[in-house]
Amino acid sequence: MSDANRPGMRRWKRATAVALALLAAAWAWTVWHAPLDSVQGVIQKILYVHPPLAFAAYAGFIGTAIGGALFLARGHEHFDRFAAASAEVGVVFSTLMLLTGPIWAKGTWGKWWTWDPRLTVTLLLYLTYVAYLLLRGFTEGNERAARFAAVYGILGSALIPLNYYAIELFGSRALHPDNLQRGSLGEGMGLPFLLGVLATLAAFAFLLVRRFELGELRALHAELSARAALREEP
Amino acid sequence: MSYVVAAYGVTLAALLGYGLALASAARTLRAEISRARPNGG
Repeated sequence: MSDANRPGMRRWKRATAVALALLAAAWAWTVWHAPLDSVQGVIQKILYVHPPLAFAAYAGFIGTAIGGALFLARGHEHFDRFAAASAEVGVVFSTLMLLTGPIWAKGTWGKWWTWDPRLTVTLLLYLTYVAYLLLRGFTEGNERAARFAAVYGILGSALIPLNYYAIELFGSRALHPDNLQRGSLGEGMGLPFLLGVLATLAAFAFLLVRRFELGELRALHAELSARAALREEP
Repeated sequence: MSYVVAAYGVTLAALLGYGLALASAARTLRAEISRARPNGG
């Protein structure tokens, strides 16, 4: 029986899933009851999901860089698999950030997309990690490709601060709203935003653990298949 | 309101779908690993 199948582990997984569901329910309740924004109206409620998705995407790409650095330093394949898992989950959250952003933009700016500095760098960050996943997909099990991917993942993470500070860096050319500061949210908007960040990061961690576990299972399966093939050779 | 429903709906559906896909793939692999191990463990 694999570790992930042990009754204790199954109970732990169920407990974390229930905790995540409760956190998401509390978030939904606070979003529903949050006051309406005086300028944007109800569409401003996308604020409680769009930036948290961006934070989770950042966490995924930072995880890729950390996993890659540890793989280069120590050479354990677990770190490489963690880096790949973190990139995939990061891309999922990044995709959702890139879907919710244009929905909000259409409702407020009247257009789905504009080549604003923040949006452009976000797309670049997204495509960087999509390319990382393609590279991993085409070169699965290749040690040199894993080392190259580790360096690529570390260098790619340099786009995260550029993405976050794009509005400050490009100043008046930015159409995207400023980054949130302490006190910049209206009364009653802080709690749903905080719960949104917590619930989204908890969902990210939950999915990352499961995606990492899947990578470990794939590696074990490949190893067992290789051993079985060797046994069958005359 | 429809924009808000779309933003939350697509997020919830995608994360649930991805989580279920991961769980399903892991379940399939565990079954195959269990069969492939000589002691069936």
